[in-house]
Amino acid sequence: MAQSMNDEHILEIDNIGKTFRRRDDTDLVALDDINLKVKKGAFISIVGASGSGKSTLLRIIDGLLEPNGGTVKVNGKTVTKPGKDRAMVFQNDSLLPWKTVIQNVAYGLTLAGVKWRDAAKTAQGFIDLAGLSGFENQFPHQLSGGMRQRVNVARGMAVDPDILLLDEPFAALDSQTREIMQTELLRIWQQTGKTVLLITHQIDEAVFLSDEVVVFSARPGTVRERIPVPLARPRNLDIKRSIEFVGLVDQIWKLIEEEVKAAAKT
Amino acid sequence: MLHKLNRFLNGETYFASVARFVLSFGSLLIIWQILTATVVTNRLLLVPPFEVFRAFMDEIASGEMWNNAQATVFAVGTSFPVAVLVGVLMGVVLASSRAISLMGGPMLSALNSVPIIALAPLFIAWLGLGFASKFVLVLLVAVFPVVVTTEAGLRAADKNLIETARSFNATRLQIFTTVTFPYALPFIVSGVRVAWARALVGIVVAEFFGSFAGFGFAVMAASQTFDTATLLAYVIVLGGMGLIGSVIFQSLEERLAPWRKA
Repeated sequence: MAQSMNDEHILEIDNIGKTFRRRDDTDLVALDDINLKVKKGAFISIVGASGSGKSTLLRIIDGLLEPNGGTVKVNGKTVTKPGKDRAMVFQNDSLLPWKTVIQNVAYGLTLAGVKWRDAAKTAQGFIDLAGLSGFENQFPHQLSGGMRQRVNVARGMAVDPDILLLDEPFAALDSQTREIMQTELLRIWQQTGKTVLLITHQIDEAVFLSDEVVVFSARPGTVRERIPVPLARPRNLDIKRSIEFVGLVDQIWKLIEEEVKAAAKT
Repeated sequence: MLHKLNRFLNGETYFASVARFVLSFGSLLIIWQILTATVVTNRLLLVPPFEVFRAFMDEIASGEMWNNAQATVFAVGTSFPVAVLVGVLMGVVLASSRAISLMGGPMLSALNSVPIIALAPLFIAWLGLGFASKFVLVLLVAVFPVVVTTEAGLRAADKNLIETARSFNATRLQIFTTVTFPYALPFIVSGVRVAWARALVGIVVAEFFGSFAGFGFAVMAASQTFDTATLLAYVIVLGGMGLIGSVIFQSLEERLAPWRKA
Protein backbone atom coordinates (compact mmCIF):
# COMPACT_ATOMS: atom_id res chain seq x y z
CA MET A 1 0.00 0.00 0.00
CA ALA A 2 2.79 2.38 0.92
CA GLN A 3 4.39 2.26 -2.52
CA SER A 4 1.25 2.60 -4.59
CA MET A 5 0.04 5.50 -2.42
CA ASN A 6 3.28 7.34 -2.90
CA ASP A 7 2.04 9.89 -5.39
CA GLU A 8 -1.45 10.13 -4.02
CA HIS A 9 -2.70 12.53 -1.43
CA ILE A 10 -2.61 11.13 2.06
CA LEU A 11 -4.50 14.12 3.43
CA GLU A 12 -7.32 15.92 1.64
CA ILE A 13 -8.97 18.95 3.22
CA ASP A 14 -12.09 20.15 1.40
CA ASN A 15 -14.04 23.32 2.12
CA ILE A 16 -13.36 23.21 5.85
CA GLY A 17 -15.05 25.98 7.80
CA LYS A 18 -15.30 26.51 11.54
CA THR A 19 -17.34 29.06 13.42
CA PHE A 20 -17.25 29.45 17.17
CA ARG A 21 -20.14 30.86 19.13
CA ARG A 22 -18.95 33.58 21.50
CA ARG A 23 -20.43 34.02 24.96
CA ASP A 24 -22.43 37.05 23.83
CA ASP A 25 -23.99 34.89 21.07
CA THR A 26 -22.07 36.52 18.22
CA ASP A 27 -20.19 34.31 15.81
CA LEU A 28 -16.45 34.10 15.39
CA VAL A 29 -15.47 32.72 12.01
CA ALA A 30 -12.15 30.99 12.65
CA LEU A 31 -11.73 29.13 9.37
CA ASP A 32 -13.33 29.82 6.02
CA ASP A 33 -13.26 27.41 3.11
CA ILE A 34 -9.89 25.75 3.65
CA ASN A 35 -8.69 23.50 0.84
CA LEU A 36 -5.40 21.67 1.07
CA LYS A 37 -3.99 18.45 -0.26
CA VAL A 38 -0.86 16.87 1.15
CA LYS A 39 1.23 14.14 -0.47
CA LYS A 40 2.47 11.16 1.44
CA GLY A 41 5.82 11.73 3.11
CA ALA A 42 5.70 15.50 2.70
CA PHE A 43 6.71 17.99 5.36
CA ILE A 44 4.24 20.87 5.28
CA SER A 45 4.21 23.92 7.55
CA ILE A 46 1.37 26.30 8.16
CA VAL A 47 2.25 29.87 9.18
CA GLY A 48 0.04 32.87 9.76
CA ALA A 49 -0.74 35.68 12.13
CA SER A 50 -1.98 34.90 15.63
CA GLY A 51 -5.63 33.99 15.65
CA SER A 52 -5.70 32.87 12.02
CA GLY A 53 -7.12 29.50 13.01
CA LYS A 54 -4.01 27.36 12.43
CA SER A 55 -4.40 25.40 15.64
CA THR A 56 -8.12 25.05 15.02
CA LEU A 57 -7.43 23.42 11.66
CA LEU A 58 -4.94 21.04 13.24
CA ARG A 59 -7.50 20.02 15.87
CA ILE A 60 -10.07 19.41 13.13
CA ILE A 61 -7.60 17.23 11.23
CA ASP A 62 -6.87 15.30 14.41
CA GLY A 63 -10.59 14.85 15.04
CA LEU A 64 -10.64 16.75 18.35
CA LEU A 65 -12.91 19.42 16.88
CA GLU A 66 -15.78 19.07 14.47
CA PRO A 67 -15.88 21.45 11.50
CA ASN A 68 -19.10 23.26 10.62
CA GLY A 69 -18.70 22.29 7.01
CA GLY A 70 -16.41 20.43 4.67
CA THR A 71 -14.50 17.19 5.08
CA VAL A 72 -11.07 15.99 6.08
CA LYS A 73 -9.96 12.73 4.52
CA VAL A 74 -6.93 10.71 5.58
CA ASN A 75 -6.02 7.84 3.26
CA GLY A 76 -9.38 8.46 1.58
CA LYS A 77 -11.35 7.98 4.80
CA THR A 78 -13.35 10.82 6.30
CA VAL A 79 -12.18 11.92 9.75
CA THR A 80 -14.82 11.96 12.48
CA LYS A 81 -12.71 11.41 15.59
CA PRO A 82 -9.08 10.89 16.61
CA GLY A 83 -7.57 7.77 15.11
CA LYS A 84 -4.46 5.65 14.79
CA ASP A 85 -3.52 7.20 11.44
CA ARG A 86 -2.86 10.59 13.07
CA ALA A 87 -0.91 11.68 16.14
CA MET A 88 -0.73 15.12 17.66
CA VAL A 89 2.25 16.71 19.39
CA PHE A 90 1.15 19.60 21.56
CA GLN A 91 2.95 22.80 22.42
CA ASN A 92 4.13 22.03 25.92
CA ASP A 93 3.65 20.20 29.17
CA SER A 94 1.24 17.68 27.83
CA LEU A 95 3.32 14.88 29.37
CA LEU A 96 1.76 13.00 32.26
CA PRO A 97 3.81 14.17 35.28
CA TRP A 98 3.28 10.93 37.23
CA LYS A 99 4.58 8.74 34.42
CA THR A 100 8.22 8.14 33.53
CA VAL A 101 9.70 8.94 30.13
CA ILE A 102 9.17 5.42 28.83
CA GLN A 103 5.64 5.26 30.22
CA ASN A 104 4.84 8.57 28.58
CA VAL A 105 6.25 7.51 25.22
CA ALA A 106 4.27 4.27 25.44
CA TYR A 107 1.10 6.08 26.54
CA GLY A 108 -0.67 6.08 23.18
CA LEU A 109 0.13 2.41 22.70
CA THR A 110 -1.17 1.36 26.11
CA LEU A 111 -4.38 3.32 25.50
CA ALA A 112 -4.79 1.33 22.29
CA GLY A 113 -4.57 -1.86 24.31
CA VAL A 114 -1.01 -2.87 23.42
CA LYS A 115 0.53 -5.08 26.13
CA TRP A 116 3.08 -3.28 28.30
CA ARG A 117 5.99 -5.47 27.23
CA ASP A 118 5.40 -4.78 23.54
CA ALA A 119 4.58 -1.12 24.13
CA ALA A 120 7.80 -0.66 26.12
CA LYS A 121 9.83 -2.29 23.38
CA THR A 122 8.39 0.04 20.73
CA ALA A 123 8.74 3.04 23.04
CA GLN A 124 12.38 2.18 23.68
CA GLY A 125 13.07 2.35 19.94
CA PHE A 126 11.66 5.87 19.72
CA ILE A 127 13.41 6.91 22.91
CA ASP A 128 16.69 5.90 21.28
CA LEU A 129 15.71 7.63 18.04
CA ALA A 130 14.89 10.85 19.90
CA GLY A 131 18.23 10.80 21.73
CA LEU A 132 16.68 10.09 25.12
CA SER A 133 18.55 6.86 25.93
CA GLY A 134 19.39 6.71 29.62
CA PHE A 135 16.43 8.87 30.62
CA GLU A 136 13.78 6.14 30.38
CA ASN A 137 12.97 6.11 34.07
CA GLN A 138 13.14 9.84 34.72
CA PHE A 139 10.01 11.87 35.33
CA PRO A 140 9.14 14.86 33.13
CA HIS A 141 9.85 17.39 35.89
CA GLN A 142 13.42 16.09 36.02
CA LEU A 143 14.03 16.95 32.35
CA SER A 144 14.81 20.19 30.55
CA GLY A 145 12.25 21.81 28.26
CA GLY A 146 14.01 20.49 25.17
CA MET A 147 14.11 16.97 26.56
CA ARG A 148 10.42 17.11 27.38
CA GLN A 149 9.61 18.06 23.80
CA ARG A 150 11.71 15.13 22.55
CA VAL A 151 9.55 12.88 24.71
CA ASN A 152 6.48 14.57 23.28
CA VAL A 153 7.59 13.95 19.69
CA ALA A 154 8.63 10.37 20.51
CA ARG A 155 5.21 9.71 22.03
CA GLY A 156 3.52 10.88 18.84
CA MET A 157 5.85 8.76 16.70
CA ALA A 158 5.44 5.65 18.86
CA VAL A 159 1.85 5.00 17.80
CA ASP A 160 3.15 4.80 14.21
CA PRO A 161 0.77 7.35 12.68
CA ASP A 162 0.64 8.09 8.95
CA ILE A 163 0.51 11.79 9.69
CA LEU A 164 2.22 13.59 12.53
CA LEU A 165 0.52 16.83 13.55
CA LEU A 166 2.79 19.28 15.37
CA ASP A 167 1.22 22.28 17.10
CA GLU A 168 4.04 24.79 17.68
CA PRO A 169 6.09 22.09 19.35
CA PHE A 170 9.13 24.27 19.99
CA ALA A 171 7.40 27.53 20.91
CA ALA A 172 8.31 27.33 24.58
CA LEU A 173 12.01 26.60 23.99
CA ASP A 174 14.91 29.03 23.89
CA SER A 175 16.31 29.77 20.45
CA GLN A 176 19.39 27.54 20.74
CA THR A 177 17.45 24.53 21.95
CA ARG A 178 14.90 25.26 19.27
CA GLU A 179 17.49 25.07 16.48
CA ILE A 180 18.84 21.80 17.84
CA MET A 181 15.32 20.41 18.00
CA GLN A 182 14.67 21.49 14.41
CA THR A 183 17.61 19.49 13.10
CA GLU A 184 16.60 16.57 15.33
CA LEU A 185 13.08 16.67 13.95
CA LEU A 186 14.44 16.68 10.38
CA ARG A 187 16.63 13.68 11.17
CA ILE A 188 13.73 11.75 12.73
CA TRP A 189 11.44 12.67 9.83
CA GLN A 190 13.98 11.45 7.30
CA GLN A 191 14.48 8.18 9.15
CA THR A 192 10.79 7.41 9.53
CA GLY A 193 9.35 8.91 6.35
CA LYS A 194 6.20 10.16 8.03
CA THR A 195 3.98 12.87 6.63
CA VAL A 196 4.33 15.91 8.87
CA LEU A 197 2.05 18.90 9.27
CA LEU A 198 3.63 21.61 11.42
CA ILE A 199 2.08 24.76 12.81
CA THR A 200 4.56 27.44 13.76
CA HIS A 201 5.00 31.13 14.35
CA GLN A 202 8.63 31.01 13.34
CA ILE A 203 8.91 31.58 9.61
CA ASP A 204 12.54 30.50 9.45
CA GLU A 205 11.58 27.27 11.22
CA ALA A 206 8.87 26.62 8.62
CA VAL A 207 11.22 27.26 5.69
CA PHE A 208 14.07 25.25 7.17
CA LEU A 209 11.96 22.15 7.77
CA SER A 210 9.36 22.09 5.02
CA ASP A 211 8.79 21.04 1.45
CA GLU A 212 6.06 23.63 1.29
CA VAL A 213 4.92 26.51 3.49
CA VAL A 214 1.22 27.31 3.59
CA VAL A 215 0.53 30.93 4.51
CA PHE A 216 -2.78 31.60 6.22
CA SER A 217 -4.67 34.87 5.92
CA ALA A 218 -5.69 36.82 9.01
CA ARG A 219 -9.02 35.87 10.58
CA PRO A 220 -11.06 34.25 9.20
CA GLY A 221 -8.29 31.85 8.24
CA THR A 222 -8.03 30.93 4.59
CA VAL A 223 -5.12 29.63 2.53
CA ARG A 224 -3.50 32.83 1.29
CA GLU A 225 -0.56 31.34 -0.54
CA ARG A 226 1.32 28.07 -0.91
CA ILE A 227 5.06 28.53 -1.21
CA PRO A 228 7.22 25.57 -2.26
CA VAL A 229 10.64 25.36 -0.64
CA PRO A 230 13.06 24.09 -3.29
CA LEU A 231 16.08 23.88 -0.96
CA ALA A 232 18.04 20.64 -1.32
CA ARG A 233 17.94 17.94 1.37
CA PRO A 234 19.43 16.86 3.66
CA ARG A 235 19.56 20.34 5.11
CA ASN A 236 21.74 21.61 7.89
CA LEU A 237 21.68 24.86 9.83
CA ASP A 238 24.11 26.50 7.35
CA ILE A 239 21.37 26.94 4.78
CA LYS A 240 19.69 29.44 7.07
CA ARG A 241 22.34 31.90 5.87
CA SER A 242 21.90 31.16 2.15
CA ILE A 243 20.36 33.75 -0.18
CA GLU A 244 17.49 31.48 -1.24
CA PHE A 245 16.60 30.80 2.37
CA VAL A 246 16.64 34.45 3.38
CA GLY A 247 14.65 35.34 0.26
CA LEU A 248 11.93 32.81 1.08
CA VAL A 249 11.68 33.95 4.68
CA ASP A 250 11.40 37.52 3.48
CA GLN A 251 8.69 36.67 0.94
CA ILE A 252 6.57 34.86 3.56
CA TRP A 253 7.14 37.55 6.15
CA LYS A 254 5.82 40.19 3.71
CA LEU A 255 2.69 38.15 3.05
CA ILE A 256 1.95 37.85 6.75
CA GLU A 257 2.68 41.52 7.29
CA GLU A 258 0.16 42.45 4.58
CA GLU A 259 -2.41 40.22 6.22
CA VAL A 260 -1.86 41.71 9.65
CA LYS A 261 -2.08 45.25 8.27
CA ALA A 262 -5.23 44.47 6.28
CA ALA A 263 -6.82 42.92 9.35
CA ALA A 264 -5.91 45.95 11.48
CA LYS A 265 -7.75 48.28 9.04
CA THR A 266 -11.08 46.49 9.19
CA MET B 1 29.52 25.34 66.88
CA LEU B 2 26.06 26.94 67.15
CA HIS B 3 26.26 27.82 63.50
CA LYS B 4 26.96 24.19 62.65
CA LEU B 5 24.06 22.98 64.77
CA ASN B 6 21.76 25.43 63.05
CA ARG B 7 22.89 24.23 59.63
CA PHE B 8 22.28 20.63 60.70
CA LEU B 9 18.78 21.39 61.98
CA ASN B 10 17.89 23.17 58.76
CA GLY B 11 19.00 20.15 56.78
CA GLU B 12 16.93 17.68 54.83
CA THR B 13 18.47 14.56 56.35
CA TYR B 14 16.57 11.93 58.28
CA PHE B 15 18.62 12.61 61.43
CA ALA B 16 17.89 16.32 61.23
CA SER B 17 14.15 15.69 61.17
CA VAL B 18 14.44 13.31 64.12
CA ALA B 19 16.53 15.88 65.99
CA ARG B 20 13.97 18.59 65.24
CA PHE B 21 11.19 16.38 66.61
CA VAL B 22 13.11 15.47 69.78
CA LEU B 23 14.05 19.10 70.38
CA SER B 24 10.54 20.51 70.02
CA PHE B 25 8.98 17.67 72.02
CA GLY B 26 11.64 17.98 74.70
CA SER B 27 11.13 21.69 75.15
CA LEU B 28 7.38 21.14 75.45
CA LEU B 29 8.02 18.66 78.30
CA ILE B 30 10.36 21.08 80.06
CA ILE B 31 7.89 23.97 79.85
CA TRP B 32 5.15 21.67 81.07
CA GLN B 33 7.29 20.55 84.01
CA ILE B 34 8.18 24.13 84.95
CA LEU B 35 4.54 25.15 84.66
CA THR B 36 3.34 22.45 87.07
CA ALA B 37 6.16 23.26 89.51
CA THR B 38 5.55 27.02 89.62
CA VAL B 39 2.33 28.43 88.19
CA VAL B 40 -0.32 25.68 88.17
CA THR B 41 0.32 23.75 91.34
CA ASN B 42 -3.26 22.49 91.72
CA ARG B 43 -3.07 18.80 90.73
CA LEU B 44 -6.71 18.80 89.70
CA LEU B 45 -5.95 21.21 86.89
CA LEU B 46 -2.59 20.02 85.69
CA VAL B 47 -0.14 17.29 86.64
CA PRO B 48 3.55 17.06 85.75
CA PRO B 49 4.58 14.93 82.75
CA PHE B 50 6.02 12.15 84.84
CA GLU B 51 2.72 11.51 86.62
CA VAL B 52 0.97 11.35 83.28
CA PHE B 53 3.52 8.80 82.17
CA ARG B 54 2.91 6.77 85.32
CA ALA B 55 -0.85 6.91 84.76
CA PHE B 56 -0.23 5.74 81.21
CA MET B 57 1.79 2.76 82.44
CA ASP B 58 -0.89 1.97 85.02
CA GLU B 59 -3.55 1.91 82.33
CA ILE B 60 -1.43 -0.45 80.26
CA ALA B 61 -0.75 -2.70 83.24
CA SER B 62 -4.44 -2.90 84.19
CA GLY B 63 -5.43 -3.72 80.62
CA GLU B 64 -7.72 -0.68 80.42
CA MET B 65 -5.60 0.92 77.71
CA TRP B 66 -5.92 -2.17 75.58
CA ASN B 67 -9.70 -2.41 76.09
CA ASN B 68 -10.23 1.22 75.18
CA ALA B 69 -7.82 1.05 72.26
CA GLN B 70 -9.68 -1.93 70.84
CA ALA B 71 -13.03 -0.13 71.01
CA THR B 72 -11.77 3.12 69.50
CA VAL B 73 -9.48 1.65 66.87
CA PHE B 74 -12.10 -0.82 65.76
CA ALA B 75 -14.74 1.90 65.36
CA VAL B 76 -12.43 4.31 63.53
CA GLY B 77 -10.76 1.53 61.59
CA THR B 78 -14.03 0.39 60.09
CA SER B 79 -15.75 3.74 59.76
CA PHE B 80 -12.88 5.82 58.36
CA PRO B 81 -12.12 3.65 55.30
CA VAL B 82 -15.82 3.58 54.51
CA ALA B 83 -15.93 7.38 54.82
CA VAL B 84 -13.00 7.72 52.42
CA LEU B 85 -14.53 5.31 49.92
CA VAL B 86 -17.95 6.94 50.05
CA GLY B 87 -16.36 10.40 49.87
CA VAL B 88 -14.35 9.53 46.77
CA LEU B 89 -17.35 7.95 45.06
CA MET B 90 -19.53 10.96 45.82
CA GLY B 91 -16.79 13.30 44.59
CA VAL B 92 -16.50 11.32 41.36
CA VAL B 93 -20.26 11.48 40.80
CA LEU B 94 -20.33 15.23 41.51
CA ALA B 95 -17.42 15.87 39.17
CA SER B 96 -18.88 13.76 36.39
CA SER B 97 -21.92 15.92 35.83
CA ARG B 98 -22.42 19.64 36.04
CA ALA B 99 -26.14 19.21 36.69
CA ILE B 100 -25.59 16.88 39.64
CA SER B 101 -22.92 19.17 41.01
CA LEU B 102 -25.19 22.21 40.77
CA MET B 103 -28.07 20.34 42.41
CA GLY B 104 -26.11 18.50 45.08
CA GLY B 105 -23.45 21.12 45.79
CA PRO B 106 -25.52 23.60 47.84
CA MET B 107 -27.09 20.76 49.82
CA LEU B 108 -23.70 19.31 50.61
CA SER B 109 -22.22 22.61 51.72
CA ALA B 110 -25.28 23.23 53.89
CA LEU B 111 -24.81 19.81 55.48
CA ASN B 112 -21.12 20.47 55.79
CA SER B 113 -21.67 23.69 57.72
CA VAL B 114 -23.94 21.99 60.25
CA PRO B 115 -21.79 21.06 63.25
CA ILE B 116 -22.56 17.37 63.00
CA ILE B 117 -20.98 16.84 66.39
CA ALA B 118 -23.98 18.66 67.83
CA LEU B 119 -26.16 15.87 66.51
CA ALA B 120 -24.24 13.25 68.49
CA PRO B 121 -26.87 12.88 71.25
CA LEU B 122 -29.50 12.37 68.56
CA PHE B 123 -27.53 9.63 66.82
CA ILE B 124 -26.99 7.90 70.13
CA ALA B 125 -30.73 8.04 70.76
CA TRP B 126 -31.36 6.51 67.33
CA LEU B 127 -28.63 3.94 67.19
CA GLY B 128 -28.00 3.15 70.82
CA LEU B 129 -24.82 3.15 72.86
CA GLY B 130 -21.79 1.56 71.27
CA PHE B 131 -20.45 0.76 67.84
CA ALA B 132 -23.29 1.82 65.52
CA SER B 133 -23.53 5.40 66.73
CA LYS B 134 -19.73 5.80 66.66
CA PHE B 135 -19.58 4.38 63.15
CA VAL B 136 -22.21 6.75 61.77
CA LEU B 137 -20.88 9.84 63.51
CA VAL B 138 -17.32 9.28 62.30
CA LEU B 139 -18.60 8.55 58.81
CA LEU B 140 -20.56 11.77 58.71
CA VAL B 141 -17.82 14.06 59.96
CA ALA B 142 -15.08 12.45 57.86
CA VAL B 143 -16.87 12.13 54.54
CA PHE B 144 -17.21 15.80 53.59
CA PRO B 145 -13.57 16.84 53.26
CA VAL B 146 -13.02 13.85 50.98
CA VAL B 147 -16.03 14.66 48.81
CA VAL B 148 -14.96 18.28 48.41
CA THR B 149 -11.31 17.60 47.58
CA THR B 150 -12.15 14.72 45.24
CA GLU B 151 -14.49 16.87 43.20
CA ALA B 152 -12.08 19.81 43.21
CA GLY B 153 -9.14 17.60 42.21
CA LEU B 154 -11.02 15.95 39.37
CA ARG B 155 -12.20 19.30 38.06
CA ALA B 156 -8.74 20.84 38.34
CA ALA B 157 -7.20 18.22 36.03
CA ASP B 158 -5.06 19.80 33.33
CA LYS B 159 -7.12 20.40 30.17
CA ASN B 160 -4.03 19.89 28.01
CA LEU B 161 -3.55 16.42 29.42
CA ILE B 162 -7.19 15.54 28.79
CA GLU B 163 -6.90 16.77 25.21
CA THR B 164 -3.74 14.72 24.76
CA ALA B 165 -5.53 11.59 25.94
CA ARG B 166 -8.43 12.39 23.60
CA SER B 167 -6.05 12.80 20.68
CA PHE B 168 -4.84 9.25 21.36
CA ASN B 169 -8.47 8.16 21.08
CA ALA B 170 -8.87 7.46 24.80
CA THR B 171 -12.30 6.44 26.05
CA ARG B 172 -14.00 8.36 28.87
CA LEU B 173 -13.01 5.63 31.29
CA GLN B 174 -9.38 5.74 30.09
CA ILE B 175 -9.30 9.52 30.49
CA PHE B 176 -10.56 9.03 34.05
CA THR B 177 -8.11 6.28 34.99
CA THR B 178 -5.01 7.69 33.26
CA VAL B 179 -5.48 11.47 33.58
CA THR B 180 -8.12 12.94 35.86
CA PHE B 181 -7.96 10.43 38.70
CA PRO B 182 -4.14 10.36 39.03
CA TYR B 183 -4.24 14.15 38.85
CA ALA B 184 -6.83 14.28 41.65
CA LEU B 185 -5.09 11.73 43.90
CA PRO B 186 -2.87 14.15 45.85
CA PHE B 187 -5.91 16.42 46.33
CA ILE B 188 -7.88 13.44 47.65
CA VAL B 189 -5.12 12.50 50.07
CA SER B 190 -5.05 16.04 51.46
CA GLY B 191 -8.79 15.71 52.02
CA VAL B 192 -8.21 12.36 53.75
CA ARG B 193 -5.69 14.05 56.03
CA VAL B 194 -8.25 16.64 57.12
CA ALA B 195 -10.88 13.91 57.43
CA TRP B 196 -8.63 11.92 59.77
CA ALA B 197 -8.36 14.81 62.21
CA ARG B 198 -12.12 15.24 62.08
CA ALA B 199 -12.72 11.53 62.54
CA LEU B 200 -10.76 11.58 65.79
CA VAL B 201 -12.87 14.44 67.09
CA GLY B 202 -15.95 12.53 66.01
CA ILE B 203 -15.01 9.32 67.75
CA VAL B 204 -14.11 11.06 71.01
CA VAL B 205 -17.39 12.95 71.11
CA ALA B 206 -19.36 9.82 70.26
CA GLU B 207 -17.59 7.99 73.05
CA PHE B 208 -18.18 10.84 75.50
CA PHE B 209 -21.91 10.38 75.26
CA GLY B 210 -22.58 6.93 74.09
CA SER B 211 -20.25 4.09 74.94
CA PHE B 212 -18.82 1.82 77.55
CA ALA B 213 -15.30 1.68 76.19
CA GLY B 214 -12.93 3.74 74.08
CA PHE B 215 -10.50 6.61 74.48
CA GLY B 216 -13.32 9.15 74.66
CA PHE B 217 -15.09 7.09 77.29
CA ALA B 218 -11.86 6.84 79.30
CA VAL B 219 -11.29 10.61 79.11
CA MET B 220 -14.83 11.19 80.34
CA ALA B 221 -14.50 8.60 83.11
CA ALA B 222 -11.19 10.05 84.28
CA SER B 223 -12.55 13.58 84.36
CA GLN B 224 -15.49 12.47 86.46
CA THR B 225 -13.15 10.98 89.05
CA PHE B 226 -10.84 14.03 88.87
CA ASP B 227 -8.04 11.79 87.65
CA THR B 228 -6.24 14.43 85.59
CA ALA B 229 -3.16 12.29 85.02
CA THR B 230 -5.15 9.47 83.36
CA LEU B 231 -7.19 11.98 81.39
CA LEU B 232 -4.04 13.54 79.96
CA ALA B 233 -2.54 10.13 79.24
CA TYR B 234 -5.48 9.32 76.95
CA VAL B 235 -5.40 12.75 75.36
CA ILE B 236 -1.74 12.18 74.51
CA VAL B 237 -2.56 8.80 72.97
CA LEU B 238 -5.23 10.49 70.84
CA GLY B 239 -2.72 13.18 69.88
CA GLY B 240 -0.34 10.43 68.83
CA MET B 241 -3.01 8.87 66.62
CA GLY B 242 -3.66 12.22 65.00
CA LEU B 243 0.02 12.87 64.46
CA ILE B 244 0.71 9.47 62.93
CA GLY B 245 -2.18 9.87 60.50
CA SER B 246 -1.10 13.36 59.57
CA VAL B 247 2.51 12.29 58.93
CA ILE B 248 1.46 9.28 56.85
CA PHE B 249 -0.98 11.20 54.67
CA GLN B 250 1.38 14.13 54.25
CA SER B 251 4.19 11.91 53.02
CA LEU B 252 1.74 10.06 50.78
CA GLU B 253 0.69 13.39 49.30
CA GLU B 254 4.29 14.29 48.53
CA ARG B 255 5.06 10.87 47.12
CA LEU B 256 2.04 10.99 44.83
CA ALA B 257 2.91 14.39 43.42
CA PRO B 258 6.69 14.76 43.36
CA TRP B 259 6.49 17.11 40.37
CA ARG B 260 4.83 19.79 42.52
CA LYS B 261 7.85 20.12 44.75
CA ALA B 262 10.30 20.72 41.90
